[in-house]
Parts: sequence; structure tokens; C-alpha cells
Amino acid sequence: MPDLGHAALLTGFVIAAYTAVASFVSARGRVGELWLSARNGVYAAFGLTTIASGALLYGLLTHDFRIKYVAEYTSRSQSPLYNFAAWWAGLEGSLLFWAWLLSLFAVIVLIQSRRNNRELIPYVSAVTMALLAYFLGMMGFAMNPFETLPVAPADGMGLNPLLDNPGMLFHPTFLYMGYVGFTIPFAFAIAALMSGRLSTDWIRASRRWTLFAWFALGLGNLFGAQWAYTVLGWGGYWGWDPVENASFMPWLVGTAFLHSVMIQERRGMLKVWNILLIIIAFSLCLFGTMVTRSGILSSVHSFSSGSAGPLFLALLTAVAAGSLGLLWLRLPALRSENQLDSLVSRESSFLLNNLLLVGAAFAIFWGSVFPLLSEAVRGVKTTVGPPFFKEVTGPIFLALLLLMGICPLIGWRKASAENLARNFLFPSGVGVTTGILLFALGMRPLFAALAFAVLAFVAASILLEFYRGVRARRRSRGENYAIAVPRLIWANKPRYGGYIVHIGVILIALGVVGSQMFATNVEATVKPGETIQIRNYVLTYQGLTSYTEGSKEIVAATLDVQRGGQSLGNIVASKSFAANREEPRTDVAIRSDPREDLYTILSGWSEDGSATFKVLINPLVMWIWVGGAVLLLGTAIAFWPDARAEERLPVTERVPAKGMRPSHA
Amino acid sequence: MESEQSGLRLRRQQALEALRRTATSRRPSLARPQFLIALIIVFGALAFLGYNAFKASSMYYLSVGELLARGDAAYGEELRVSGKVLEGTIQRGPEANAIRFTVTDGDGTTVPVVYQGVVPDTFQEGGEVVVEGGLSPEGVFQATTLLAKCPSKYEPKESGQG
Repeated sequence: MPDLGHAALLTGFVIAAYTAVASFVSARGRVGELWLSARNGVYAAFGLTTIASGALLYGLLTHDFRIKYVAEYTSRSQSPLYNFAAWWAGLEGSLLFWAWLLSLFAVIVLIQSRRNNRELIPYVSAVTMALLAYFLGMMGFAMNPFETLPVAPADGMGLNPLLDNPGMLFHPTFLYMGYVGFTIPFAFAIAALMSGRLSTDWIRASRRWTLFAWFALGLGNLFGAQWAYTVLGWGGYWGWDPVENASFMPWLVGTAFLHSVMIQERRGMLKVWNILLIIIAFSLCLFGTMVTRSGILSSVHSFSSGSAGPLFLALLTAVAAGSLGLLWLRLPALRSENQLDSLVSRESSFLLNNLLLVGAAFAIFWGSVFPLLSEAVRGVKTTVGPPFFKEVTGPIFLALLLLMGICPLIGWRKASAENLARNFLFPSGVGVTTGILLFALGMRPLFAALAFAVLAFVAASILLEFYRGVRARRRSRGENYAIAVPRLIWANKPRYGGYIVHIGVILIALGVVGSQMFATNVEATVKPGETIQIRNYVLTYQGLTSYTEGSKEIVAATLDVQRGGQSLGNIVASKSFAANREEPRTDVAIRSDPREDLYTILSGWSEDGSATFKVLINPLVMWIWVGGAVLLLGTAIAFWPDARAEERLPVTERVPAKGMRPSHA
Repeated sequence: MESEQSGLRLRRQQALEALRRTATSRRPSLARPQFLIALIIVFGALAFLGYNAFKASSMYYLSVGELLARGDAAYGEELRVSGKVLEGTIQRGPEANAIRFTVTDGDGTTVPVVYQGVVPDTFQEGGEVVVEGGLSPEGVFQATTLLAKCPSKYEPKESGQG
């Protein structure tokens, strides 16, 4: 089996390399037959990558400990589900997982575009297959997942107990889907540059891929946040660690891209900027993988490292230099069809949104790589901590939220004063009232009241949009509210799906503001019967029990919880010790309601039965996860095939002045 | 219907004309004063934010050897120090939640550390640790933040170097 897997990798490498060249040549010379062969090459590469993955999974699930990777990441006592998840637990396996996703996406792109984008697709395949060849080559020649041990051990090591969590199934998979997903719009952008078809074709063809990749990356980060929150036991969900930043940056740039392509579709502007954004987003994806897998930046996520660093750096350099060079060559053909008409227009607000998003990504990038830079330049490593990231991104994100509310209220091209007055009255009223009310009720610091005011303003602005759409439907078709709302959404899915995504973002922001500004904690050592007080909660320590569960030994503390004199029942905070591991694993007791989370960590105990706890109150955290679900819903709606969006296609092909048509809004 | 179509044609014509106009008398829209000013304000604000935050939160990231080599300059500074927890040095108490241990570079240079608070699961003898805080006049590092990075965190125990 290991030999089969490795052979499949090497054959796949050859096929993918051939296909990349054949696709490119066929597109250049318009050789139809060669393209047929290249098409088959894409399918064959997918088949071989699948065989390699199958061989690894077979080894992982059948405990074939001859394979080093299997011995390192699985064990007989580990459940099959986590033995399966070992696929992406280590460096070599995760490379294979990446390659498999890439080959799968390449095939889906082919199937999707049997009838359209004939000029672009061969170039797209050339890009995806070249990248696939690189990954398969890395595994085939340097980081072989099928490396065998001279003697097979009786049992494997298994995953670290911290990874034994549903988060392990979702967090890495979604992040990888996002990282790899951004390959497709990137490949379309390169295809547009190579073919010279620089209209909006490449954007339209890759719109749903961008949405998918953006969404997968966002959700992957949220899954990671939730995992860290429930398992690591430090009370937070985001630590501004370089590895976390690495997956956040492409998401920010991807968000900028999603918005700025709308301007190109509508108005034929920002063409160079859009290509630049997707190149940056994809490069950041590669950078993220490199940071995660090479350990060049000091991080608490210490993944296994190896020869991955230089190989990724070479790839990153080649991708960035190659695509920027190509963009440079095509600059003359990428002139804008329109100009910005007014500072107060939807285009301007999109542009500002882009600047802020990219600015935030740049600040985070700067903060993350600063230790490396300062060491190279001044010979001393200097770091910036979470306060840096919080202070820089806090105001930027607040400004972005504000724009999210302003943007739908401003018309395209140039907004009139009358338009502004009519649209802004209600949302600003709601926002200002909320702010003043919260401040008068004693909310401090001012920034928090301001943030909630902005959130209220955005929510009101989105509500207004929905209300107007519904009112129009009621007038023209006499529908009642219950019918009008879903039909309104369904009639223009990208637009209203987008608004629902915005609602999700508001909810996430609500949770972040609440938990960042109003969290409190207390640490205490108590004997059985004694109490810990935090805000209006009283926790009474009942006692400690210890028991074994499978191969784990668990020490659990029970506490009785009362809030404002009302009993809320018992909670159990515990630590577990796996037989073959030194470090314990903390299982936090979280009592969650819409207002706040009571978060209790058992941090230690002594013979006399006393135990030490850290108790936190994290307000509004639940809304982060609710917001994630709303985000999912909104993206699904925006992703759904939309009749109106499809109908637009042929029209734009015929109209000579693209993007000059009056808006469909 | 008829008039709608002619209206559409008219609009297309206007659009074409506009295109021709902009193609001849082109002036990059972002170079116009109002946009330039807006851009400068945005970039200025971003740079200001970044500079301020950076000044407030940047700190030296040192190994134990580098910390000791700084000598007296190290006192009163906010520092971040990384190293390994020397085997057999972790002591709890006497204060509630206090923990004392020695951090080493692995070549004999050591510094004692005291920290009060909950330690992460990955904190253990021989494990890698990052502490933030300052050096007291007695030469004890008073840590306010403790991050632990276990060499075996994502790797099997046997292959770890610790």
C-alpha cells in the first residue's frame, strides 16, 4: 500500500506537469486536440491524487504502522474518526489533503465550464495543474507521507489529546478549503491576463469560487476560535498568534476582493486593483500555509516543521513575482472604463472599504513579521503583542462596520443631498439614540457605547433595505409580509444574501465587542463548601472526584451555581490525563446564555481537597457563534444560482460599453 | 414598449459618448484633489494608528542569554523571554496560584521566574516557555504573561527533543 501511494504521487506529478504544459500550449496555439489530452490529464491527476489519498487513509484506518506517518498520528485506541482526521494532522498528510482538494477543484471547474469560458479554461487548468505538480513533487521527492519505518511499532502515538475534539474535524478542513479555494479565482485572474480577455468574464466565472473560498476561510477561523475557547482554557477565542493572523489576512483581502469586483462588474473600474487583490489574497494563503508549516514565526501553535519552509518560500516567490510581472505586462490593456464621479457615491464607499480592509491586513502582516524584520535590520528581535493588534484593528473594524451601514444608503455614481437625507434619517436616528442611551445608562468606556451605536446604525440600515424591498412588493403585488420577505430575498439572491451576511457580521461584532470590553475574571483557591463570587454569580465548590474513562484519568470538580440568588444547577470543570501523555487537558465548564458565558477552569488542586479555579464572565460570546450560523445562511443564499444573475450574462456580451448600463438595483 | 426601447438605445448612445469623452480627456480620477485629500487622510489615520499602537506595545524578544547580556539595561523594561523550563525546578506556592521555575537556554544560562496565575496545559518541565514581564532588581523575572509551547504538542512524545 505505501508503495502504491508513493507511485501514485510520482505518476501524478508527471501527469500534472504534462497537463500544465499541454494546457498552456493548447491555449497559446489554439490546438484543440492537445486540449482534449490536457482535459484528460486533469481527470487523471485527480484520479492519481485520490488513489494516493486512499492509500494513506487505508493505512491510517487499518493501523499500518510500517508507515511512519500512520505510526505518528494514529493509534489503536483512537477512534476511527480521529484516525481519519490524522490525514491533515501532520505536515505530509496535510500537503496531500491540499493537493487532493486542488485536483478536485480543478475537475469541478472543468465540469462547470463545458460550454462557456473556452478561452479562459485552458489557462486556468495550466495554473492549477502547475501548482498541483509542485505539491505532488514536494511530497514525491521531499516530504513523503508514505515513508516507512524499518520496524513497525506495535502501536502508534496517536494525536495529541488537545486535538481530540470535533474542532479537529472542521477547523483544518475548512481552512484548507479556503486556502485552496482561493486558487481558483487566482487561476482565473492569471488566465485573464494570459489570454488578454480582461473583461469581467473571469470575475463572473469565478464569483462563486471566491464566495466559497472566502466563506470557508471565515468559517474555518470561527471553528478554530470556538475550539480554542472550549479546550485550551485561557478564556479567549482569539490570541493574535502569528498562525491565527496568517489565516485571517487572506480572509480580509478576500473580503476586499468580493466587494471591489462588484464595482468592476457595475462600472468597469478598479480592474488592476482587483487582479492585484486576488494575487495578494492567494499569496497570503501560501504565506499562511508556510507560516503554519515551517515555524519561521514564533507561535504557540508549534506544528511539526521540516523542509517545508524553503520550498514554500520558493513557491510563494515564484507565484508573487510571476503574477505581478504578468500584470505589469498587461497594464495598458487594463484601463478603467469610468471615473469616480463623486466622493459621496457608492463607489467611493466601496473604495474606502477596500483601503481599510487591506490596511487592516497590512497592519496585521506588519505586526506578525516584525520580529523577523527587526532581527534582520537591527539584530534584536522585537515583538508586538495582542495590544498592538487590538489598538490598530479596533478602530479600523469600527470604521468598516460604519461603512457597512452607510454603503447601501448611498446611490451609485453620485448621491444627491435629498437622497442622503431621506436614507440616513432613520438609521442614524437609531444609532445615535442607542449610543446616547447606553452612555446615559453608564456604559463606559466611550468606545464601547460608540461601537454599539454603530452596530445599531448598521442593523437599522439593513432593516431599512429589507423594509423598502418588502414595501415595494406589497404595493406592486399585494403580498403580505410573511410571503414578501422570502420572495424578496429569492428574487435577488446575491444582494439579499449579502445583507444577511452583513447581519451575521454585526452579530459577530456584537459578541466581540461585548467579550473584549466587558469580560471579567477571578482566580481563587477554595475548600469544599466555600464560595467564589463574580459579578452576581455565586459558585459553591462541592468537591473533587476522580475516575477513569477508557485510557484517560479524569479529575473533576463540581460547583453549584447561583445567579442573583436563583439556582442554575451544577457545573463540572475537569482535567483529563491520557495514559501515554504528560500534559493534561482542561475541559472547561461553560454555562452559556444570550447575555453572557460563565466560564470556569479547574486549574489545580491539593491533597486537602481544596481546588483552584479561574472563573471568567464573557458577555455576549454566544452571538459570535450565532453570527457564524447567520453568515452560513447568507452565503448559501448568495451562492445559490440566481436567475437574474444568469440572465445578465448575454446582455453584457452584446452591449459595447460594458458596465455603463444603468444599475439593476 | 416602443418608447422604452428607444430610451434604452439613447442611453447606450450616451454611454458610448461618455466612454469616448473619458478616453480622450483622461485624467486619473484618483489624482483629482478631493480624492487625493481623502486618500491622504485615510492613509494618515492608518499610519497614526499603527505608529501609536506600535510604540505602546512593542517589546524586545530575547533568549535567556540575551537577557543576561543586557545587564542593567534590562531592569524596568517590558520584555519577552523564551527558553526551556529547567527540569525539576517547577515549584508551587507559597502564595495562592504562584509558580516558580527556572528558564534556561540549554547551555547553562538560567534565570529564575515567578508567575501568578493559571498555567496552560502545555506548561511542563522541559517544555518551551515564553514569558512576558520584567526583571526585578533581585534578578528574578516577574512574569505577567506565560505562554507555553510544548515540543510534543503536535508531534509524538518520543520524537520531541525535550
